[in-house]
Amino acid sequence: MSLIVAAFGFGLVSMSIIAIAAVGFTMQFGITNMINLAYGQVMIASAFAAYAVNNAGVNIWLSMIVGAVFGAVFSFLLNRGIYAPFQRKGTNLIGMVIISLAVSLVIANVLLPIAGYDSVSYHLDTGATFHAGSIALTGVQIAIMAVAVVVMVVVHSLLHFTRLGKAMRATAANPTLARNCGIPTARVIDLAWLITGALCGVAGVVAGMNSDAFAVANGSEFLIPIIAAAVLGGAGHPYGAMIGAVIIGEMTELSAAVISPEYKQVVAFAVLVLVMVLRPQGLLAKRGALAAAG
Amino acid sequence: MTYYLTTVLVYAGVDALACLAISLQFGVSGIVNFSFIIFQAAGAYTAGVLSMPPDTANGGFQTYILGLNLPFPLPWIGATVVGALLAPPIGLVVLRRLRSDYQAIAMLVLSVIATLVVTNTPPFLDGAAGLALVPQPLANLLDPSSAGYEWAYAAATVVLAAIVFVIAQRIINSPYGRSLRAMRENELAANALGKNSVALKMSVFVVGGAIAGLSGAILVGFITTWAPSTWLYPETLILFAAVIVGGRGNNYGAVLGALLVPVGFEEATRYIPPFGPPGLIPAFEWVCIGGLILGFLWFRPRGVIPERRRVFRVAAAKQPEEERGAG
Amino acid sequence: MPVEADAVANRRDAGGEAAPTSVALLQARGVSRHFEGMHAVEDVSIDVQPGRITGLIGPNGAGKSTFLAVLAGTLPASSGTIIFDGTDVTRMPAFQRARRGLVRTFQLPSEFAQLTVLENLMTAAPDNRGDSLIGALLGRRYWGVDEDRLVMQARVLLDRFRMSAKESDYAGSLSGGQKRLVEIMRSLMLRPRLLLLDEPMSGVHPSIVGEIASYCEALRDDGLTILIVEHELHMIERLCDPVIVMAQGHVIGQGTMTFLRQQREIVDAYLVG
Repeated sequence: MSLIVAAFGFGLVSMSIIAIAAVGFTMQFGITNMINLAYGQVMIASAFAAYAVNNAGVNIWLSMIVGAVFGAVFSFLLNRGIYAPFQRKGTNLIGMVIISLAVSLVIANVLLPIAGYDSVSYHLDTGATFHAGSIALTGVQIAIMAVAVVVMVVVHSLLHFTRLGKAMRATAANPTLARNCGIPTARVIDLAWLITGALCGVAGVVAGMNSDAFAVANGSEFLIPIIAAAVLGGAGHPYGAMIGAVIIGEMTELSAAVISPEYKQVVAFAVLVLVMVLRPQGLLAKRGALAAAG
Repeated sequence: MTYYLTTVLVYAGVDALACLAISLQFGVSGIVNFSFIIFQAAGAYTAGVLSMPPDTANGGFQTYILGLNLPFPLPWIGATVVGALLAPPIGLVVLRRLRSDYQAIAMLVLSVIATLVVTNTPPFLDGAAGLALVPQPLANLLDPSSAGYEWAYAAATVVLAAIVFVIAQRIINSPYGRSLRAMRENELAANALGKNSVALKMSVFVVGGAIAGLSGAILVGFITTWAPSTWLYPETLILFAAVIVGGRGNNYGAVLGALLVPVGFEEATRYIPPFGPPGLIPAFEWVCIGGLILGFLWFRPRGVIPERRRVFRVAAAKQPEEERGAG
Repeated sequence: MPVEADAVANRRDAGGEAAPTSVALLQARGVSRHFEGMHAVEDVSIDVQPGRITGLIGPNGAGKSTFLAVLAGTLPASSGTIIFDGTDVTRMPAFQRARRGLVRTFQLPSEFAQLTVLENLMTAAPDNRGDSLIGALLGRRYWGVDEDRLVMQARVLLDRFRMSAKESDYAGSLSGGQKRLVEIMRSLMLRPRLLLLDEPMSGVHPSIVGEIASYCEALRDDGLTILIVEHELHMIERLCDPVIVMAQGHVIGQGTMTFLRQQREIVDAYLVG
């Protein structure tokens, strides 16, 4: 039983990491209709960018900012340089999936020679371990959860209290209408990719902070739980992604404790397939993903 | 040298089969089967466990189901059948009215799940280690290590590929093929014209699955091992790259793509002197595959050999013109 | 044309129906279509009489296209029944209705773009032995005769619609009006009993509109029953009798255009909606 409670505790950390990532991922989908399968690779690349700085002696939190900036710029360039041109060209949805897969392949394999095959870990002080019943979390893990909360608050404020946020929501709901209402959708999209890219970077760094060691190969592991969380909550809906992250975060950790660690990933993957097939609009969204078009 | 040539031929044949299957599903019918590798793997595993002795043999270092020691050609037939049988359950799950990119991703994830499940369930198919010492066809009658056997194997592969090519041609050039292409263009309109798109898609899925299963059997009979690392999801992507490069919607393009990408690429990189740290060349390969996909999708989405326009021959006797007052 | 004594306007609250003058080819009874809380079609009952062109008009958002989609089977009905040629087709998917002779066209261009014009027509042709997996595997020797016969049929149709020269052009390269004609020809290959035309004049050059209307009249004279959803009221007036008016998911009137123009509430609904 204590194993389950402990797993519940780990689930809190997992969900924090997934939430940061999934919110960014789902917003990319909501605003540009793009399932960015290279997201996991951008995460790991940002993690390594932060590592490069961290390894040179910089404090981990400042390194995280470096990772965020890296993710922001990288994602922005990705959209401007590859995704948007192909979309403008009229590439259909399948074409975009293939393209983002190809991009993720390229990123992973360009990163490998640069970052090497070995696992690395951040130089950080994990801090004291806090106990609450059977739950045992280190200071870093609690800090990660705090980061997630801060990020959620920032995203919420952005979306509801700023003009940019409102413009982003309008563009996500109906780009043509938004443009006709005078919203500079191109600029909104650019900023959206910068912001979600930053989220991606932060997520990559905290994921690295949470693991004993990470390597380039971990990039593809992140992706599926993130997509699962996003789809579960309704693709394109940030709040849905947060809820999806809670569910997926707990499910993966609990299944690792209850079934076996190897099946941790399988559970998230199975959830994703089931949701996509049975209820593609997710648990929250009313608008269907059951489009006949595309 | 013999071994090298026969290896290339066998791989060319297997890749051609796989590309023909994917072309039928993707290029002709518009079904994005990102779980393709499951079918080829299922065929290989089936051929393996049907032809291998019970798992206590050979020192018992493997654990797997069945082990029926069946003679050739039963394992290959079994593999083809299993490939076809896997199609309905997988197809039913994903071939519904769903956003096409969701469908594609769901299938991709399915193939990842399959890899994970097989890896983590050792009693099933020997987990991560996979099957080894798979008997080669007719090994009890012929000497598998002889050059003659190698050439015969390569010849058999090419012949099978040619037979499947003819079958694929018949499919594409028939009214059934035309219905598939119409469904690809506009499924809703095809339904409104009496085409049962669900049945059409399922039939193509089954045919593609059968071909994929056969290709797996041929490959495993040649390399005599099969492990999850052989069939990770990027393998499907290479095949899709091949079909995109070679040309969509036609079998010549599919075969050309198979020769250019999986085969041509592998062979080309063989001749590059090793440079940089180990593993750099495979990484470089993947970058090129990704670049190929992007490049072709941008500059030449139809591929090297595009789908040809179908022109019907002029009728010998023209119908007499009917006078119509209106119109 | 004199107003038929039986053409009683269906009041929103009464929901009565016009007494049929002959056995209706298509009967819709209490058909509704709800989706995500929206009532696009609400309790609609109509009869489509054979051998006539029936019009279906109404302001934007009236539910006309949705109702047509439900009739054709593209969308399932939330409630109600649809009886076509004596058979209850309510639960039948679109492709089965098409095979029985209930065929629809689409408002947006829906040609098979990367197939030639002739291929577009050939796709629609039923009774082709090669149109199955087994048939395909048996080869041209098996289905060649059917194919040749259907090619001739298709060519006759192309000739009638004066598009023979375009036979081998990709359908995607045609103009809007030509695509519309290809769609109509395609539907005709199925030898339909009832043709549902969804805004056939939309996206078509004005000079072609008259041509399409003439084809509709000729088809009706040949015995085809047509139901047209349209905004082009001139064409509706020329072609259709009766005309059914929908607004906000309900039927609010039925009769000839002249009759309807005299109904105050119908004019109001159309102008307001």
